[in-house]
Amino acid sequence: MTSLTPYLGEFAAGARLTALACALALVGSLALGVVVALMRTSTMPLARRVADIYVDIFRNVPFIVQLFFLFYGLPEIGPELSPFNTGVLALALAGGAFTSDVIRSGILALEPGVLEAAQVSGLSRITIYRRIVLPIALRTSIRPLGSVFVNLILTSSILSAITINELTGVAKIVASDTFQPFEVYGLLLVAYFAMTTLVSLGAGVLHRRLNRHLHGGAA
Amino acid sequence: MRYSGFTYNDLLVLLQGLGVSVALFAATTVIGLALGLAWATLRYYRTPVLAPLAAALAELLKNSPVLVQLFLVFFGLPVLLGTDLTPVEAALITLSGNTAAFVYVIAVSAIESVGRDQIETARVFGLTRWQTLRRVVAPQAAAFGFGPLTGLLINQLQVTSLISVIGVTDLTKVGAILNVRTLEPFIVWAVIGVLYYLMARLIARVCARAELRLRAHSQWKGF
Repeated sequence: MTSLTPYLGEFAAGARLTALACALALVGSLALGVVVALMRTSTMPLARRVADIYVDIFRNVPFIVQLFFLFYGLPEIGPELSPFNTGVLALALAGGAFTSDVIRSGILALEPGVLEAAQVSGLSRITIYRRIVLPIALRTSIRPLGSVFVNLILTSSILSAITINELTGVAKIVASDTFQPFEVYGLLLVAYFAMTTLVSLGAGVLHRRLNRHLHGGAA
Repeated sequence: MRYSGFTYNDLLVLLQGLGVSVALFAATTVIGLALGLAWATLRYYRTPVLAPLAAALAELLKNSPVLVQLFLVFFGLPVLLGTDLTPVEAALITLSGNTAAFVYVIAVSAIESVGRDQIETARVFGLTRWQTLRRVVAPQAAAFGFGPLTGLLINQLQVTSLISVIGVTDLTKVGAILNVRTLEPFIVWAVIGVLYYLMARLIARVCARAELRLRAHSQWKGF
Protein backbone atom coordinates (compact mmCIF):
# COMPACT_ATOMS: atom_id res chain seq x y z
CA MET A 1 0.00 0.00 0.00
CA THR A 2 2.76 2.45 0.92
CA SER A 3 4.21 2.09 -2.56
CA LEU A 4 1.09 3.82 -3.87
CA THR A 5 1.72 6.97 -1.81
CA PRO A 6 3.79 8.72 -4.53
CA TYR A 7 0.76 8.47 -6.83
CA LEU A 8 -1.64 10.22 -4.49
CA GLY A 9 -1.29 13.47 -6.43
CA GLU A 10 -2.27 11.77 -9.67
CA PHE A 11 -5.25 10.11 -8.02
CA ALA A 12 -6.34 13.50 -6.69
CA ALA A 13 -6.09 15.00 -10.18
CA GLY A 14 -8.12 12.10 -11.54
CA ALA A 15 -10.74 12.52 -8.84
CA ARG A 16 -10.97 16.25 -9.65
CA LEU A 17 -11.53 15.45 -13.32
CA THR A 18 -14.21 12.88 -12.44
CA ALA A 19 -15.92 15.38 -10.15
CA LEU A 20 -15.78 18.10 -12.81
CA ALA A 21 -17.15 15.83 -15.54
CA CYS A 22 -19.95 14.63 -13.27
CA ALA A 23 -20.84 18.15 -12.12
CA LEU A 24 -21.01 19.47 -15.69
CA ALA A 25 -22.94 16.41 -16.83
CA LEU A 26 -25.34 16.83 -13.90
CA VAL A 27 -26.12 20.41 -14.95
CA GLY A 28 -26.60 19.29 -18.56
CA SER A 29 -28.75 16.31 -17.53
CA LEU A 30 -30.96 18.49 -15.36
CA ALA A 31 -31.51 21.08 -18.08
CA LEU A 32 -32.19 18.39 -20.66
CA GLY A 33 -34.27 16.35 -18.22
CA VAL A 34 -36.55 19.28 -17.38
CA VAL A 35 -37.14 20.14 -21.05
CA VAL A 36 -37.74 16.50 -22.02
CA ALA A 37 -40.00 15.88 -19.02
CA LEU A 38 -42.10 18.92 -19.97
CA MET A 39 -42.28 17.64 -23.54
CA ARG A 40 -43.33 14.18 -22.36
CA THR A 41 -46.10 15.58 -20.18
CA SER A 42 -47.24 18.19 -22.70
CA THR A 43 -50.47 18.01 -24.68
CA MET A 44 -48.70 18.28 -28.05
CA PRO A 45 -48.49 14.82 -29.65
CA LEU A 46 -45.38 15.69 -31.67
CA ALA A 47 -43.41 16.91 -28.66
CA ARG A 48 -44.35 13.79 -26.74
CA ARG A 49 -43.35 11.54 -29.59
CA VAL A 50 -39.94 13.17 -30.09
CA ALA A 51 -39.19 13.10 -26.37
CA ASP A 52 -40.29 9.46 -26.04
CA ILE A 53 -38.03 8.42 -28.91
CA TYR A 54 -35.05 10.21 -27.36
CA VAL A 55 -35.56 8.54 -23.99
CA ASP A 56 -36.19 5.15 -25.58
CA ILE A 57 -32.96 5.26 -27.57
CA PHE A 58 -30.68 6.56 -24.84
CA ARG A 59 -32.01 4.11 -22.26
CA ASN A 60 -31.76 1.03 -24.45
CA VAL A 61 -28.35 1.49 -26.06
CA PRO A 62 -25.23 0.85 -23.93
CA PHE A 63 -23.43 4.00 -22.82
CA ILE A 64 -20.12 2.90 -24.29
CA VAL A 65 -21.74 2.60 -27.74
CA GLN A 66 -23.23 6.10 -27.41
CA LEU A 67 -19.82 7.36 -26.31
CA PHE A 68 -17.99 5.80 -29.26
CA PHE A 69 -20.67 7.07 -31.65
CA LEU A 70 -20.06 10.63 -30.48
CA PHE A 71 -16.29 10.29 -30.05
CA TYR A 72 -15.61 8.84 -33.51
CA GLY A 73 -18.68 10.17 -35.29
CA LEU A 74 -18.84 13.85 -34.30
CA PRO A 75 -15.52 14.89 -35.90
CA GLU A 76 -16.88 13.52 -39.20
CA ILE A 77 -19.73 16.00 -39.35
CA GLY A 78 -18.03 19.09 -38.01
CA PRO A 79 -17.45 20.11 -34.43
CA GLU A 80 -14.08 18.86 -33.22
CA LEU A 81 -14.68 18.41 -29.50
CA SER A 82 -11.96 17.49 -27.04
CA PRO A 83 -12.33 13.99 -25.55
CA PHE A 84 -13.33 15.57 -22.25
CA ASN A 85 -16.09 17.65 -23.82
CA THR A 86 -17.31 14.65 -25.81
CA GLY A 87 -17.41 12.64 -22.59
CA VAL A 88 -19.38 15.30 -20.74
CA LEU A 89 -21.78 15.61 -23.69
CA ALA A 90 -22.35 11.85 -23.78
CA LEU A 91 -22.89 11.71 -20.00
CA ALA A 92 -25.34 14.61 -20.15
CA LEU A 93 -27.30 13.06 -23.04
CA ALA A 94 -27.59 9.69 -21.31
CA GLY A 95 -28.25 11.30 -17.93
CA GLY A 96 -30.93 13.53 -19.47
CA ALA A 97 -33.01 10.50 -20.44
CA PHE A 98 -32.98 9.12 -16.88
CA THR A 99 -33.46 12.56 -15.32
CA SER A 100 -36.52 13.20 -17.49
CA ASP A 101 -38.04 9.97 -16.17
CA VAL A 102 -37.66 11.13 -12.58
CA ILE A 103 -38.93 14.67 -13.22
CA ARG A 104 -41.80 13.34 -15.31
CA SER A 105 -43.06 11.18 -12.48
CA GLY A 106 -42.62 14.17 -10.17
CA ILE A 107 -44.87 16.20 -12.48
CA LEU A 108 -47.44 13.41 -12.79
CA ALA A 109 -47.55 13.06 -9.00
CA LEU A 110 -48.69 16.68 -8.68
CA GLU A 111 -52.13 17.01 -7.17
CA PRO A 112 -54.62 18.11 -9.85
CA GLY A 113 -56.20 20.50 -7.34
CA VAL A 114 -52.99 22.55 -7.21
CA LEU A 115 -52.99 22.99 -10.97
CA GLU A 116 -56.70 23.81 -11.09
CA ALA A 117 -56.25 26.42 -8.37
CA ALA A 118 -53.43 28.00 -10.35
CA GLN A 119 -55.47 28.06 -13.54
CA VAL A 120 -58.50 29.51 -11.79
CA SER A 121 -56.27 32.25 -10.34
CA GLY A 122 -55.59 33.31 -13.91
CA LEU A 123 -51.86 32.55 -13.95
CA SER A 124 -50.32 32.13 -17.39
CA ARG A 125 -49.08 28.72 -18.49
CA ILE A 126 -45.45 29.80 -18.24
CA THR A 127 -45.92 31.13 -14.73
CA ILE A 128 -47.67 27.94 -13.67
CA TYR A 129 -44.77 25.85 -14.94
CA ARG A 130 -42.04 28.14 -13.60
CA ARG A 131 -43.52 28.91 -10.21
CA ILE A 132 -45.64 25.89 -9.36
CA VAL A 133 -45.12 22.73 -11.42
CA LEU A 134 -41.32 22.64 -11.65
CA PRO A 135 -40.50 23.76 -8.09
CA ILE A 136 -42.79 21.12 -6.63
CA ALA A 137 -41.79 18.38 -9.09
CA LEU A 138 -38.07 19.03 -8.59
CA ARG A 139 -38.33 19.28 -4.84
CA THR A 140 -40.18 16.01 -4.44
CA SER A 141 -37.75 14.16 -6.71
CA ILE A 142 -34.46 15.05 -5.00
CA ARG A 143 -33.93 11.52 -3.71
CA PRO A 144 -34.46 9.74 -7.06
CA LEU A 145 -32.37 12.46 -8.71
CA GLY A 146 -29.66 11.54 -6.23
CA SER A 147 -29.67 7.96 -7.50
CA VAL A 148 -29.49 9.22 -11.09
CA PHE A 149 -26.42 11.24 -10.05
CA VAL A 150 -24.91 8.17 -8.39
CA ASN A 151 -25.37 6.30 -11.67
CA LEU A 152 -23.75 9.20 -13.49
CA ILE A 153 -20.68 8.92 -11.26
CA LEU A 154 -20.46 5.16 -11.83
CA THR A 155 -20.93 5.62 -15.57
CA SER A 156 -18.24 8.31 -15.73
CA SER A 157 -15.65 5.54 -15.22
CA ILE A 158 -16.36 4.51 -18.82
CA LEU A 159 -14.93 7.85 -20.00
CA SER A 160 -11.51 6.25 -19.44
CA ALA A 161 -12.22 4.30 -22.67
CA ILE A 162 -11.81 7.49 -24.74
CA THR A 163 -8.42 8.46 -23.33
CA ILE A 164 -9.75 10.70 -20.56
CA ASN A 165 -7.58 10.37 -17.46
CA GLU A 166 -10.27 10.64 -14.86
CA LEU A 167 -10.12 8.47 -11.75
CA THR A 168 -10.35 5.13 -13.57
CA GLY A 169 -7.97 6.29 -16.33
CA VAL A 170 -5.37 7.30 -13.73
CA ALA A 171 -5.82 3.96 -11.95
CA LYS A 172 -5.09 2.11 -15.19
CA ILE A 173 -1.81 3.98 -15.56
CA VAL A 174 -0.82 3.53 -11.92
CA ALA A 175 -1.71 -0.17 -11.99
CA SER A 176 0.56 -0.82 -14.94
CA ASP A 177 3.34 1.34 -13.42
CA THR A 178 3.36 -0.33 -10.02
CA PHE A 179 2.36 -3.89 -10.98
CA GLN A 180 -0.10 -3.78 -8.09
CA PRO A 181 -3.43 -4.03 -9.89
CA PHE A 182 -5.25 -5.66 -6.99
CA GLU A 183 -4.39 -2.90 -4.53
CA VAL A 184 -5.02 -0.11 -7.06
CA TYR A 185 -8.40 -1.33 -8.28
CA GLY A 186 -9.46 -2.41 -4.79
CA LEU A 187 -8.72 1.11 -3.58
CA LEU A 188 -10.56 2.55 -6.56
CA LEU A 189 -13.63 0.43 -5.81
CA VAL A 190 -13.71 1.71 -2.25
CA ALA A 191 -13.19 5.29 -3.46
CA TYR A 192 -16.19 5.11 -5.80
CA PHE A 193 -18.21 3.42 -3.08
CA ALA A 194 -17.39 6.27 -0.68
CA MET A 195 -18.27 8.93 -3.27
CA THR A 196 -21.59 7.40 -4.25
CA THR A 197 -22.54 6.68 -0.62
CA LEU A 198 -21.85 10.31 0.25
CA VAL A 199 -23.96 11.50 -2.67
CA SER A 200 -26.94 9.31 -1.80
CA LEU A 201 -26.69 10.25 1.89
CA GLY A 202 -26.53 13.91 0.90
CA ALA A 203 -29.50 13.56 -1.44
CA GLY A 204 -31.49 11.88 1.35
CA VAL A 205 -30.73 14.69 3.80
CA LEU A 206 -31.56 17.38 1.25
CA HIS A 207 -34.76 15.57 0.29
CA ARG A 208 -35.95 15.41 3.88
CA ARG A 209 -35.00 19.04 4.53
CA LEU A 210 -36.77 20.44 1.48
CA ASN A 211 -39.88 18.31 1.99
CA ARG A 212 -40.08 18.57 5.79
CA HIS A 213 -43.38 20.47 5.72
CA LEU A 214 -45.12 17.59 3.91
CA HIS A 215 -47.20 15.66 6.40
CA GLY A 216 -46.33 12.09 7.26
CA GLY A 217 -43.09 12.27 5.29
CA ALA A 218 -44.94 10.88 2.31
CA ALA A 219 -42.57 12.28 -0.26
CA MET B 1 -3.55 -4.95 -48.75
CA ARG B 2 -6.10 -2.92 -46.90
CA TYR B 3 -9.83 -3.57 -47.13
CA SER B 4 -11.50 -0.33 -46.21
CA GLY B 5 -15.03 -1.01 -47.43
CA PHE B 6 -17.57 -3.30 -45.84
CA THR B 7 -17.48 -6.95 -46.93
CA TYR B 8 -19.88 -9.84 -46.49
CA ASN B 9 -17.46 -11.28 -44.01
CA ASP B 10 -18.17 -8.33 -41.73
CA LEU B 11 -21.72 -9.58 -41.36
CA LEU B 12 -20.38 -12.89 -40.09
CA VAL B 13 -18.08 -11.15 -37.63
CA LEU B 14 -20.99 -9.03 -36.46
CA LEU B 15 -23.14 -12.11 -35.88
CA GLN B 16 -20.27 -13.74 -34.00
CA GLY B 17 -20.01 -10.71 -31.72
CA LEU B 18 -23.75 -10.74 -31.20
CA GLY B 19 -23.54 -14.43 -30.26
CA VAL B 20 -20.79 -13.78 -27.71
CA SER B 21 -22.81 -10.93 -26.15
CA VAL B 22 -25.98 -13.00 -25.98
CA ALA B 23 -24.21 -16.07 -24.61
CA LEU B 24 -22.43 -14.13 -21.87
CA PHE B 25 -25.63 -12.28 -21.01
CA ALA B 26 -27.58 -15.54 -20.75
CA ALA B 27 -24.90 -17.33 -18.72
CA THR B 28 -24.35 -14.48 -16.27
CA THR B 29 -28.09 -13.96 -15.87
CA VAL B 30 -28.62 -17.61 -14.90
CA ILE B 31 -25.64 -17.66 -12.50
CA GLY B 32 -26.51 -14.23 -11.13
CA LEU B 33 -30.12 -15.21 -10.50
CA ALA B 34 -29.09 -18.38 -8.68
CA LEU B 35 -26.45 -16.58 -6.58
CA GLY B 36 -28.66 -13.60 -5.79
CA LEU B 37 -31.58 -15.79 -4.74
CA ALA B 38 -29.23 -17.86 -2.58
CA TRP B 39 -28.02 -14.64 -0.88
CA ALA B 40 -31.60 -13.56 -0.30
CA THR B 41 -32.41 -16.98 1.20
CA LEU B 42 -29.50 -16.53 3.62
CA ARG B 43 -31.21 -13.36 4.75
CA TYR B 44 -34.62 -14.99 4.96
CA TYR B 45 -33.19 -17.62 7.31
CA ARG B 46 -31.36 -14.85 9.20
CA THR B 47 -28.08 -16.76 8.96
CA PRO B 48 -25.63 -15.12 11.37
CA VAL B 49 -22.43 -13.60 9.91
CA LEU B 50 -23.21 -14.74 6.35
CA ALA B 51 -26.39 -12.66 5.94
CA PRO B 52 -24.84 -9.31 6.92
CA LEU B 53 -21.76 -10.18 4.87
CA ALA B 54 -23.95 -10.81 1.81
CA ALA B 55 -25.76 -7.51 2.37
CA ALA B 56 -22.46 -5.60 2.61
CA LEU B 57 -21.06 -7.27 -0.50
CA ALA B 58 -24.21 -6.49 -2.47
CA GLU B 59 -24.03 -2.86 -1.36
CA LEU B 60 -20.37 -2.62 -2.43
CA LEU B 61 -21.03 -4.18 -5.85
CA LYS B 62 -24.10 -2.03 -6.41
CA ASN B 63 -22.28 1.20 -5.63
CA SER B 64 -19.09 0.82 -7.64
CA PRO B 65 -18.52 0.96 -11.41
CA VAL B 66 -18.73 -2.39 -13.19
CA LEU B 67 -15.68 -1.35 -15.22
CA VAL B 68 -13.59 -1.12 -12.04
CA GLN B 69 -14.95 -4.46 -10.82
CA LEU B 70 -13.97 -5.91 -14.17
CA PHE B 71 -10.42 -4.53 -13.91
CA LEU B 72 -10.14 -5.77 -10.33
CA VAL B 73 -11.09 -9.30 -11.37
CA PHE B 74 -9.19 -9.40 -14.66
CA PHE B 75 -5.94 -7.70 -13.61
CA GLY B 76 -6.08 -7.98 -9.81
CA LEU B 77 -7.38 -11.46 -9.06
CA PRO B 78 -4.68 -13.34 -11.03
CA VAL B 79 -1.98 -11.55 -9.01
CA LEU B 80 -3.69 -12.49 -5.77
CA LEU B 81 -4.38 -16.10 -6.71
CA GLY B 82 -1.25 -16.68 -8.76
CA THR B 83 -3.24 -18.01 -11.73
CA ASP B 84 -4.25 -16.58 -15.07
CA LEU B 85 -7.78 -15.63 -16.01
CA THR B 86 -8.97 -15.41 -19.58
CA PRO B 87 -11.02 -12.32 -20.45
CA VAL B 88 -14.13 -14.48 -20.81
CA GLU B 89 -13.63 -16.00 -17.34
CA ALA B 90 -13.12 -12.58 -15.82
CA ALA B 91 -16.25 -11.32 -17.58
CA LEU B 92 -18.27 -14.30 -16.33
CA ILE B 93 -17.16 -13.80 -12.73
CA THR B 94 -17.70 -10.04 -12.71
CA LEU B 95 -21.03 -9.89 -14.50
CA SER B 96 -22.48 -12.82 -12.53
CA GLY B 97 -21.46 -11.19 -9.25
CA ASN B 98 -22.88 -7.85 -10.34
CA THR B 99 -26.17 -9.35 -11.46
CA ALA B 100 -26.36 -11.34 -8.22
CA ALA B 101 -26.01 -8.15 -6.16
CA PHE B 102 -28.95 -6.51 -7.89
CA VAL B 103 -31.04 -9.70 -7.83
CA TYR B 104 -30.37 -9.88 -4.08
CA VAL B 105 -31.70 -6.35 -3.58
CA ILE B 106 -34.81 -7.03 -5.68
CA ALA B 107 -35.46 -10.37 -3.97
CA VAL B 108 -35.11 -8.91 -0.48
CA SER B 109 -37.60 -6.14 -1.14
CA ALA B 110 -39.94 -8.60 -2.89
CA ILE B 111 -39.83 -10.93 0.13
CA GLU B 112 -40.45 -7.99 2.45
CA SER B 113 -43.49 -7.00 0.37
CA VAL B 114 -45.22 -10.18 1.54
CA GLY B 115 -46.91 -9.33 4.82
CA ARG B 116 -45.44 -10.69 8.07
CA ASP B 117 -48.90 -11.83 9.11
CA GLN B 118 -48.96 -14.30 6.23
CA ILE B 119 -45.66 -15.80 7.32
CA GLU B 120 -46.86 -16.02 10.93
CA THR B 121 -50.11 -17.64 9.84
CA ALA B 122 -48.25 -20.20 7.75
CA ARG B 123 -45.97 -20.98 10.71
CA VAL B 124 -48.96 -21.35 13.04
CA PHE B 125 -50.46 -23.81 10.59
CA GLY B 126 -47.36 -25.91 11.03
CA LEU B 127 -45.53 -25.18 7.79
CA THR B 128 -41.76 -25.28 8.11
CA ARG B 129 -39.77 -22.15 7.25
CA TRP B 130 -38.81 -23.73 3.92
CA GLN B 131 -42.42 -24.66 3.10
CA THR B 132 -43.50 -21.13 3.99
CA LEU B 133 -40.87 -19.71 1.67
CA ARG B 134 -41.64 -22.14 -1.12
CA ARG B 135 -45.45 -22.15 -0.97
CA VAL B 136 -46.45 -18.79 0.50
CA VAL B 137 -43.68 -16.21 0.13
CA ALA B 138 -41.96 -17.13 -3.14
CA PRO B 139 -45.00 -17.10 -5.47
CA GLN B 140 -46.11 -13.66 -4.30
CA ALA B 141 -42.57 -12.29 -4.15
CA ALA B 142 -41.94 -13.52 -7.71
CA ALA B 143 -44.93 -11.60 -9.01
CA PHE B 144 -43.82 -8.50 -7.10
CA GLY B 145 -40.18 -8.66 -8.16
CA PHE B 146 -40.79 -9.30 -11.83
CA GLY B 147 -41.08 -5.68 -12.92
CA PRO B 148 -37.80 -4.58 -11.32
CA LEU B 149 -36.17 -7.76 -12.65
CA THR B 150 -37.12 -6.84 -16.22
CA GLY B 151 -35.45 -3.45 -15.77
CA LEU B 152 -32.39 -5.16 -14.32
CA LEU B 153 -32.06 -7.58 -17.22
CA ILE B 154 -32.21 -4.78 -19.80
CA ASN B 155 -29.59 -2.91 -17.80
CA GLN B 156 -27.35 -5.97 -17.48
CA LEU B 157 -27.50 -6.52 -21.24
CA GLN B 158 -26.04 -3.05 -21.67
CA VAL B 159 -23.45 -3.72 -18.99
CA THR B 160 -22.11 -6.66 -21.04
CA SER B 161 -20.81 -4.08 -23.54
CA LEU B 162 -18.08 -3.17 -21.00
CA ILE B 163 -16.32 -6.52 -21.34
CA SER B 164 -15.06 -5.32 -24.72
CA VAL B 165 -12.63 -3.15 -22.76
CA ILE B 166 -10.77 -6.21 -21.41
CA GLY B 167 -10.65 -7.80 -24.86
CA VAL B 168 -13.68 -10.08 -25.14
CA THR B 169 -14.82 -9.96 -28.78
CA ASP B 170 -18.43 -9.14 -28.04
CA LEU B 171 -20.69 -6.95 -30.15
CA THR B 172 -19.06 -3.70 -28.97
CA LYS B 173 -15.54 -5.02 -29.62
CA VAL B 174 -16.59 -6.04 -33.13
CA GLY B 175 -17.88 -2.49 -33.55
CA ALA B 176 -14.51 -1.11 -32.47
CA ILE B 177 -12.69 -3.39 -34.92
CA LEU B 178 -14.95 -2.48 -37.84
CA ASN B 179 -14.75 1.18 -36.87
CA VAL B 180 -10.96 1.22 -37.09
CA ARG B 181 -10.91 -0.67 -40.36
CA THR B 182 -13.68 1.02 -42.32
CA LEU B 183 -13.45 4.51 -40.79
CA GLU B 184 -17.22 4.74 -41.00
CA PRO B 185 -18.07 5.49 -37.36
CA PHE B 186 -21.61 6.66 -38.09
CA ILE B 187 -22.68 3.50 -39.86
CA VAL B 188 -20.80 1.10 -37.59
CA TRP B 189 -21.92 2.51 -34.24
CA ALA B 190 -25.47 3.07 -35.47
CA VAL B 191 -25.72 -0.59 -36.49
CA ILE B 192 -24.25 -1.74 -33.18
CA GLY B 193 -26.63 0.56 -31.32
CA VAL B 194 -29.64 -0.75 -33.24
CA LEU B 195 -28.67 -4.35 -32.47
CA TYR B 196 -28.44 -3.62 -28.74
CA TYR B 197 -31.72 -1.73 -28.93
CA LEU B 198 -33.49 -4.65 -30.59
CA MET B 199 -32.13 -7.08 -28.02
CA ALA B 200 -33.34 -4.83 -25.19
CA ARG B 201 -36.77 -4.68 -26.82
CA LEU B 202 -36.84 -8.45 -27.14
CA ILE B 203 -36.02 -8.91 -23.46
CA ALA B 204 -38.73 -6.43 -22.50
CA ARG B 205 -41.30 -8.23 -24.60
CA VAL B 206 -40.41 -11.71 -23.34
CA CYS B 207 -40.50 -10.48 -19.74
CA ALA B 208 -43.86 -8.75 -20.25
CA ARG B 209 -45.33 -11.95 -21.60
CA ALA B 210 -43.90 -14.02 -18.74
CA GLU B 211 -45.23 -11.53 -16.20
CA LEU B 212 -48.69 -11.80 -17.68
CA ARG B 213 -48.61 -15.55 -17.16
CA LEU B 214 -47.22 -15.18 -13.65
CA ARG B 215 -50.05 -12.86 -12.69
CA ALA B 216 -52.73 -14.84 -14.55
CA HIS B 217 -54.16 -16.35 -11.36
CA SER B 218 -54.75 -12.98 -9.71
CA GLN B 219 -56.47 -11.45 -12.69
CA TRP B 220 -60.14 -10.63 -12.75
CA LYS B 221 -61.87 -13.38 -14.68
CA GLY B 222 -65.51 -12.36 -14.20
CA PHE B 223 -68.26 -14.56 -12.87
